Amino acid sequence: MSEESSTHFGFKTINENEKAQKVGEVFHSVARNYDLMNDVMSAGLHRGWKRFAVEISGVSAGGRVLDVAGGSGDMSRLFAKKVGDTGEVVLTDINASMLAVGRDRLIDAGLTAPALQCDAEKLPFPDQYFDCVCVAFGLRNMTHKEKALAEMQRVLKVGGRLLVLEFSQIWKPLAPLYDAYSFKLLPLMGKLFAKDADSYQYLAESIRMHPDQETLRQMMLDAGFAKVDYYNLAAGVVALHKGWKI
Amino acid sequence: MLKPLLTKLLNHLINQNLTAKEQLQPFASKSVNFRLPPLNVTLVVLEDGGLAIAGESSTPEATVTIPMSVALRLLANDEAANSLITLEGDSELAATLAKVLRGFSWNYEEDLSRIVGAMPASKVTSFGRKATEQVSAQAQNATASLTEYLREDQQLIAANYAIQQFLSDVDDVRDDAERLAKRLQKLEAAITEKLNKKPAA
Ligand SMILES: C[S@@+](CC[C@H](N)C(=O)[O-])C[C@H]1O[C@@H](n2cnc3c(N)ncnc32)[C@H](O)[C@@H]1O
Repeated sequence: MSEESSTHFGFKTINENEKAQKVGEVFHSVARNYDLMNDVMSAGLHRGWKRFAVEISGVSAGGRVLDVAGGSGDMSRLFAKKVGDTGEVVLTDINASMLAVGRDRLIDAGLTAPALQCDAEKLPFPDQYFDCVCVAFGLRNMTHKEKALAEMQRVLKVGGRLLVLEFSQIWKPLAPLYDAYSFKLLPLMGKLFAKDADSYQYLAESIRMHPDQETLRQMMLDAGFAKVDYYNLAAGVVALHKGWKI
Repeated sequence: MLKPLLTKLLNHLINQNLTAKEQLQPFASKSVNFRLPPLNVTLVVLEDGGLAIAGESSTPEATVTIPMSVALRLLANDEAANSLITLEGDSELAATLAKVLRGFSWNYEEDLSRIVGAMPASKVTSFGRKATEQVSAQAQNATASLTEYLREDQQLIAANYAIQQFLSDVDDVRDDAERLAKRLQKLEAAITEKLNKKPAA
């Protein structure tokens, strides 16, 4: 395995081509129980974080929003309410199972948004098309994060914003507690609720391999964002990065 | 979870003061650091004209500093204290935001009606108004005694009568100056007249 073509899958180092497939397997197997697990894992907090991200977006009625790695459709649902009938929200995900769950949930909520299966690293949209792009808990699963960030920057209008909601570096004093939670309790809960301990072991590990707040900020600047600001939520368990294309 | 909560509150207030959004929108993505020792908070203008607490890594475009003594005078509705607020950086941004924040009014009747229903809301507010009057009277008392302390003991704030005296002194000086100017004019006219007459004589 050469240096360039290997990547992380949780703590394991694997062949790059394998990663997308493995990530696909993980999300395919958790798709149905994904929401339940999300609630259990974050004690329901992820809903508040998502709502905060939408509030910070500054998107108004008539806005055009892209939900990358949208899976469950949570972000799309919140944005659809914000942009109203004159606006446009596009739900995308690389995984057909997750996308189907998200699309169905949007329809159940009485909302219609186009649902599109695509890779964040190759977005099928023209340059300067969206007012806002969001990626919630999806960036860490991507093989080439730089490429994905550059794509999100490309499809944004000048003045557009990227919002990245992602697990991040927790405040040091709380780290041991959080370790115990995510490596012992998470897989156990995965086994109990989703009957799939391995997938949740991967989720816990992938959280740790994710860049910390400052590193991600720099990555966004490198991808062409003129300005990036981040918020630590829940002592840094989760961070929200907002980048401006100017 | 303080930032999400404060942001929610800010935007709730801003949605009740719609002209605020229009005034702020041109400054989207800019942030202002407010220093009211010991408080220090940075606000960022959102693209829809809303307001949020800024993130950890924001670099404010402007700074507004309000010293304690000035804050007290503002509380006591002393408009003259406005000029003692220091604005640094993008002064148009800072001034607009400061103005919007000072102009905020809270439509609590509407908020309450959402919780207790429209009918009882007016009753609650009429009771609430009395309570608020009492609270604000007490607050005024507290402000008054604090102001007295700062004025008499610390001489940090000028007393009202001293200001009145000063103002009337200024008026006197201005009147005197005007009278003097008039007399000079008269003298000048007299001199020119004399000079004009001389060669003729
Ligand atoms: C943890 S889920 C997040 C779902 C949703 N945004 C939420 O916050 O509830 C991560 C999603 O990222 C998707 N994903 C992983 N790699 C991707 C890629 N390269 N492009 C697009 N989506 C990807 C997965 O299929 C999965 O649905």
